[in-house]
Amino acid sequence: MTRFGPDVLRGIAVEHIDALAAGAALLGSGGGGDVALGSHLLRRALAPAGRRVEVVPAAGLPPGALVVHAGVVGAPDVLAERLLAPGDLARAVEAVVGHLGGDLAAVGVIEIGGLNAVAAVLTAAHLGVPVVDGDLMGRAFPGINQTTAAVAGHPAAPLALVGPAADTVVVPAASPAMAEALIRSCAATMGGAASLAMYPLTAAVLAAHGVRSSLSACHALGTAYLTRDPAAGARALAARLGARLLFEGRVDEIRPPLAGSPGCTTLTSPDGGATARLDHQEEFLAVTLDGVTVAGTPDIIVALAVGSGAPLRADQLRPGHSLVLLGLPALHTWPPGTAALVGPPAFGLDLEAVTTP
Amino acid sequence: MLRLGIDVGGTNTDAVLIDGNRVLAATKAPTSPDVTTGIVTAIAGLKQAAEFDPAAVAAVMIGTTHFINALVEGDRLAPTAAIRFGLPATSALPPLVDWPDRLRTAIGEHSHLCHGGHEYDGSRIADFDEREFRAVLERAVEAGARSFALSSVFSPVNAEFEQRAAEIIAEELPGRPISLSHEIGRMGLLGRENATVINAALRELAEHVAAGLTRTVAEAGISAPLFLSQNDGTLMDVDYARRYPVATFASGPTNSMRGAAFLSRQADCAVMDVGGTTTDVGILQNGFPREASTDVSVAGVQTNFRMPDVLSVGIGGGSHVTHEGGPRVGPKSVGSRLTERALVFGGDQLTATDLAVAAGLADIGDRDRVAHLGKDLVRAGLDHIAERMAEVVDRMRISPDPVPVVAVGGGSILVPDRLAGASRVDRPEHYAVANAIGAAIAEVGGEVDRVFSVQPGRRDAVLDEARQEAVDRTVAAGARPGSVRVVDIEEVPLAYLPGNATRVRVKAVGELSLGDSLGELGDNDA
Repeated sequence: MTRFGPDVLRGIAVEHIDALAAGAALLGSGGGGDVALGSHLLRRALAPAGRRVEVVPAAGLPPGALVVHAGVVGAPDVLAERLLAPGDLARAVEAVVGHLGGDLAAVGVIEIGGLNAVAAVLTAAHLGVPVVDGDLMGRAFPGINQTTAAVAGHPAAPLALVGPAADTVVVPAASPAMAEALIRSCAATMGGAASLAMYPLTAAVLAAHGVRSSLSACHALGTAYLTRDPAAGARALAARLGARLLFEGRVDEIRPPLAGSPGCTTLTSPDGGATARLDHQEEFLAVTLDGVTVAGTPDIIVALAVGSGAPLRADQLRPGHSLVLLGLPALHTWPPGTAALVGPPAFGLDLEAVTTP
Repeated sequence: MLRLGIDVGGTNTDAVLIDGNRVLAATKAPTSPDVTTGIVTAIAGLKQAAEFDPAAVAAVMIGTTHFINALVEGDRLAPTAAIRFGLPATSALPPLVDWPDRLRTAIGEHSHLCHGGHEYDGSRIADFDEREFRAVLERAVEAGARSFALSSVFSPVNAEFEQRAAEIIAEELPGRPISLSHEIGRMGLLGRENATVINAALRELAEHVAAGLTRTVAEAGISAPLFLSQNDGTLMDVDYARRYPVATFASGPTNSMRGAAFLSRQADCAVMDVGGTTTDVGILQNGFPREASTDVSVAGVQTNFRMPDVLSVGIGGGSHVTHEGGPRVGPKSVGSRLTERALVFGGDQLTATDLAVAAGLADIGDRDRVAHLGKDLVRAGLDHIAERMAEVVDRMRISPDPVPVVAVGGGSILVPDRLAGASRVDRPEHYAVANAIGAAIAEVGGEVDRVFSVQPGRRDAVLDEARQEAVDRTVAAGARPGSVRVVDIEEVPLAYLPGNATRVRVKAVGELSLGDSLGELGDNDA
């Protein structure tokens, strides 16, 4: 279902980690945490020769098979200090399976953008089960209800959170709003971050409502990025990644997000003639050029540093940085009526409709 | 005020004498393996170039790549114990986890974890377990560790674990070097810890080098205080540098760019520093180097320093030139042995410098020794060099418009006057010693990068506290109290966290503390 569809990923071994991480960083749309932390851990987990995590499509599992989605929730700054333990992720999944009864068939990816793409693979490696080639967001989102499963009416609970001292919280049932609130307050109590398992779904439900082939698409995107010609220009890179070149320019001013309302960054083109506004909260949300919005969530917005070509997170932008802004199509076509959940209004942005030139 | 700037590079040791804004004299000498002989030669060269009274020198500033080279070579490193407080968290990635095997072996593979560390809000992850720490310490010492690197989760919020452990080491093993992560790195445990371990591994060498530099300068008859260049283009005094050698790591490219800005009176340009082995290109914005936006890996170790954004290509004055099929230049180089190995100096290795001499771009060594080189080979080799250099400038500039390029460094004769993508190529006077000039013109700097809990109505008090800390650090690094000013403040709220946890970074600079008598002597016009 994506450009990169034909290259199906059937297993993840050490040699796939760099491309997977690069793809996840791009799909993070400037958020989703520090992928490098997950790569370190996954490299250690898969270091013994021949170790690999099997990748299966949801449709390739028996219809009743149980898939639990795993990842981390919380502040990137906390993870950068306290790190992440694969054992905690596995414990969270086991807590959900223990509550439901039955056997775990595979681990699912909550969000394909950022650290959580790798965290799910890490969990699967630790538990010795396959990981599903798909995810629930098609990018990175800050809210646990911004998922295709939620749109289809499936709750996040039963869910479980695990802190670094093995403190475990199981929530058997919760409304969407309460699930979000409980997860946030639990993670805060656990020091600002926690391992999370949620959305226990059957393979049949996932095959019908999940985003398909995300891991394959992520790996293919990362491979295309890593094998780029560093000397080629922004336009050539955009074409290579299947992206739109939105803007090239220098960061003038950054207004950080405050108390739940998005921040924005102003960029000026090299000749000083054009300006762009980049709205962001934890992720990049929209790009507006001289008053015309040319990309908006759930589109994926990538900011690359000129020179190194490295994708930057929203918290890494600094005045004076030279950036290339790219727009990648979301890995999932959200149905009409979901703008309030995943579109600019979900973040309090009041923008004109996105114009795709 | 007379200032003596010295840059000890991998190939050359440069020295300049500066009075206010005037460069009085500049010299170049080959770097010696012991560092100090090269400095003695360079100072002697200065004395020949301009009569000056060594006693009239008010300050000596040295920039050196010695410490980063020691790390890259994995040589002269102290056996170092890396001890982290963080259990029960962080055990999945213990200290030294991502280090190259060679370096890990070079410092002795002493990686230890203890209970402790803090959460972002300052509460403890676990209490300090003194018995556990003493047992770890004993094991590390028995295994041969001589230098100690202590890190603790969220030590930029609360450093008590690192401090208590340091007290115990000081009491058990008086005089042993101890490096604390909250004094060295920024937020981000692994990067901060790695920088701290690197610092610890360099402490014995730093002791040795600092003593050598102090002695050498004194023997030259100079009694002025001695400063070393830091990563951000500021200075620290030599005693401070003994304890924080890692702070010299990026000083080479920073000095080069700031020196070039000073010489060319350009505030926005690309600076191309052509050394013996590499060409480094950076971008200057408002007179300061553009900082890299992502973490920097040094010798294969990830750190979280903020370094100048520099792109390098393996071409320099000492680069080997071969010609099978087409011309190939670098990345192999004769390095510091240019004056033995290059053809023009009677050696047997064809280098980029030989091409420049053969083409008449430079007049060094014996021109007759390259007279036999074919014109086509020389032309093709130099064109190849120009192409590769233009590529680097092209990748660094933001604008499609050509940028002014300032060419500096000993190998800058290799940069053609017309370079693709450059609006002009400037070669400022004394360009060959821009690094030494960058060192000589700098001020003393200090920085704080910590996490504060900003309660409602307390923002100003918190910022004042951070400012005071940065000012205190700048004075500790050798600035004159009263002259220190804050040049940069950054406040970033930590995402997704309650309690208004805010990361505050404050950078301060101040004038050199030179003492009164020296200050008066500084007015002498030599």
